[in-house]
Amino acid sequence: MDLLLIFISAAIVNNFVLSMFLGICPFLGVSNKLEKALSMGLATTFVMVLAAMVTWLINNLILVPFGLPFLQYVSFIIVIASLVQFVEMFIKKTSPALYRSLGIFLPLITTNCAILGLALLAALREYNFLQSVTFGLAAGVGFTLALCIMAGIREELDLAPVPEHFKGAPITLIIAGLLALAFMGFAGLISG
Amino acid sequence: MAASKVKRGYLTEYLKGLWDENPVFRQLLGMCPTLAVTTSTINGLSMGLATTFVLVCSSTIVSLIRKLIPDQVRIASFIVVIATFVTMADLFLKGIFPDISKALGPFVPLIVVNCIILGRAEVFASKNDPAKSFVDALGMGSGFVVALTVLGTIREIFGTGSLFGLVNFEPWVIMILPGGAFITLGLLIGLLNYLKEKTGQQQAAPACLPVDSQAEVN
Amino acid sequence: MNKLTKMIVVLSVIGLVSGGILSLMYQWAEPKIKVNQIKANDAAVFQVVPGTVKYKQISDKDLTYFECYGQRGEKTGTAILCQGNGYQGVIKMMVGVNADFSKFTGMIVLEQVETPGLGAKIAEGAFTAQFKGLASKPPIEYVKSAKPSKLNQIEAITGATISSRAVVNIINKTVQQWQQAK
Repeated sequence: MDLLLIFISAAIVNNFVLSMFLGICPFLGVSNKLEKALSMGLATTFVMVLAAMVTWLINNLILVPFGLPFLQYVSFIIVIASLVQFVEMFIKKTSPALYRSLGIFLPLITTNCAILGLALLAALREYNFLQSVTFGLAAGVGFTLALCIMAGIREELDLAPVPEHFKGAPITLIIAGLLALAFMGFAGLISG
Repeated sequence: MAASKVKRGYLTEYLKGLWDENPVFRQLLGMCPTLAVTTSTINGLSMGLATTFVLVCSSTIVSLIRKLIPDQVRIASFIVVIATFVTMADLFLKGIFPDISKALGPFVPLIVVNCIILGRAEVFASKNDPAKSFVDALGMGSGFVVALTVLGTIREIFGTGSLFGLVNFEPWVIMILPGGAFITLGLLIGLLNYLKEKTGQQQAAPACLPVDSQAEVN
Repeated sequence: MNKLTKMIVVLSVIGLVSGGILSLMYQWAEPKIKVNQIKANDAAVFQVVPGTVKYKQISDKDLTYFECYGQRGEKTGTAILCQGNGYQGVIKMMVGVNADFSKFTGMIVLEQVETPGLGAKIAEGAFTAQFKGLASKPPIEYVKSAKPSKLNQIEAITGATISSRAVVNIINKTVQQWQQAK
């Protein structure tokens, strides 16, 4: 029940992208094609789950017992950067086509604040290992969901007469705003 | 002659961050904190200042040690430098301004992954001397502060329904909701695109500034 | 020096310098952060139980409360930390009751992430002031768009009934736990 609550809260009610503003850069950058959005979402989810596990271990087995909380940010970001490197190598080996289409955005997962944000929030809320992993998975699912909805809308948007100066980022932001409002409708879910 | 040229070089390096290459309005970098913390002027301003502090310090340090760092571990080194300054800023805020620290929440540590900072380290500071990197970072930081403060002020005025206590009207709740953040920024960027095109056609003069600064970068 | 050694040396030096600077900075900041936390807690307790000059923290499983004492050492009441799920996330409050537990002496919201402009009004004075002087038995009730008619009633915020109800439920539940525990 507890895990389900964490999952729904992070994936839908407090969606990372639409209500916590985490991971906006890839959200604006990679959301123009549905297929690309889905692969980006899955790659990010994968890194998120791994990051949730590894940062939990580091925080609870090294940083807390040795009284080194001030090294939290430095160690978390190093772990995330290495994980991304690892995933990048993995995708390059297994699927060169996917690697080419994700292009520059793969290394950018490092600076995707959703991942560091996830690690920090899990540490702040003192989640246990299982809760952290659930949180990571849920955040990834929420991110993928937002990315795919956006990509679906933007594919249709190519046919719409958008004012010249609002093409690209401005209209995407405005749509994101409307989506965020729609997602607010889920807010009552966790009070049960 | 040479001296005046250097001086103007620094000035243009500074000014480009404010407008022509404004990190938020023109480059769309650092979106997460821009949207998240701008519910009020003071939050926007303090976030902007904290980011500028980290940006200026890390750009300068990166530029100082740029020749010592092997290319392969470049990014890793930059990130450690940035994370160090962010932790310092965070500890400082928690120690001296606990209220601001609480209002900004997890977005202070998230300065680490603000693309503006890593971007400037990679694009500018790793290729230029410390003085120039310092000015560049200061310019970008100022641009960021301006953007966040403007956005924070707009949202605060409409969201609380009060223009500095002078005129009162029904608050637009949407402005402080997440949705309002996206919509306000979208409208603002669209408006600036429009203004940019209008002024760009009327006066060609400002256009020479970025060209000049480009030349100096190369 | 070959490339690999250089990479390792550079990274280790950067890491060491960063660690050193941060540990110095932490030694400077940590006491200040502690003081700030204590100050914030002091302010909360003193506000919800008026006349308090010192208090004793008691933690019992999930429950945390503060026995409060006045100038001459007399008991002024108890400040109870209440926490639970609101509309959008966790709401954390400090609630004060007087020494003989006949009425509430105050309530402030410490943390909340309710909808800004609607549910977030639970943290504002107009709402929290209703708890001051409220009868503590029977449990608190809320009424919608009407003035409270009984001593244990508060008026819910218009447009944010769920948040208001969550506050009332969290307080009732925690106070009941506290009564059983003490």
